[in-house]
Amino acid sequence: MSKLVIVTGASRGLGLAICRQLLQADYSVLALARTQSKELTQLQQHGLHFYAADLSELDKIPTLCSELTKQYGRPYALINNAAVGYDGVLATMHNTEINSLLNLNIQAPILLSKYLLRPMLLNQSGRIVNISSIIARTGFNGLSVYAASKAALEGFTKSLAREVGKAGITVNCVAPGYMQTEMTSSLQGDKLESVKRRSPLGRLATPDDAASAVLYLLSEQAAAITGTTITVDAGSTA
Amino acid sequence: MELEHTIRQTLEQVAMIANCQLIDNITDDTVLLQSGLDSLGFAMLVAQLEEDLGIDPFSQMQIAVYPRTFAEFVSVYRQALAGGNQNQ
Repeated sequence: MSKLVIVTGASRGLGLAICRQLLQADYSVLALARTQSKELTQLQQHGLHFYAADLSELDKIPTLCSELTKQYGRPYALINNAAVGYDGVLATMHNTEINSLLNLNIQAPILLSKYLLRPMLLNQSGRIVNISSIIARTGFNGLSVYAASKAALEGFTKSLAREVGKAGITVNCVAPGYMQTEMTSSLQGDKLESVKRRSPLGRLATPDDAASAVLYLLSEQAAAITGTTITVDAGSTA
Repeated sequence: MELEHTIRQTLEQVAMIANCQLIDNITDDTVLLQSGLDSLGFAMLVAQLEEDLGIDPFSQMQIAVYPRTFAEFVSVYRQALAGGNQNQ
């Protein structure tokens, strides 16, 4: 029986690329998103399971996890990919936006990890991969709250790795650089060219590049890797 | 008594999986932290009981509750199953 992997924020961008590669590698994929995209519907024909969930509703996460485990069985892995990235200076960012960003980017992954690592504990095996960003460590004008959420995710990853390692569960981060996805669509023109120029490889990392790092962390070959961050940024932070 | 029996059995089962050595005689007054099961083992106990009984009383509660003894632990589940959790 193929291993079940739960992917959040699966409807587009990196989440979608992860789902595609997981299906190609014969994992059983349970995709979570608020709404179903055309691309996800197509992947359903290849065996992907879709479950509609709004992870900003934190109170519903315990019940959601319980339903997922009941319906689909104990997961092998959780990919915490869902996130929002509001662009704007802190001084004028609305408090409700700060709140909703922190809820979705850090509280939701913590709660999903809490409830979905329980079945992993019973299996004495599992993988959690948190999608961070190079912004957690480099900083970027207008993304201070987003950066705080990603840095928090990396701190969470290291401590949780220590907590659950004994049970055969690894916890890691993948930190992509700028990728051309809908989330970074505001990065255009000169700014985009400047990011490309600074990269030693002369290009941006793609969602498929980052998805490959996730797949590697799920593999048997990565069994000894935990509590770390794999950066996939075409070398731009080198 | 049936619930207590289920919890005892589950305790033994997860102790084995978690590679923990339980003390010989667990009574109502046994302090959980001295039962031989470590903190990750308790997480497994709660997880296994959720699968078997369909409830996680600790998540249902509005405030954090940490039972100290085995009897207190059983009581939390008994109250939750009876729908009489006073902390809800």
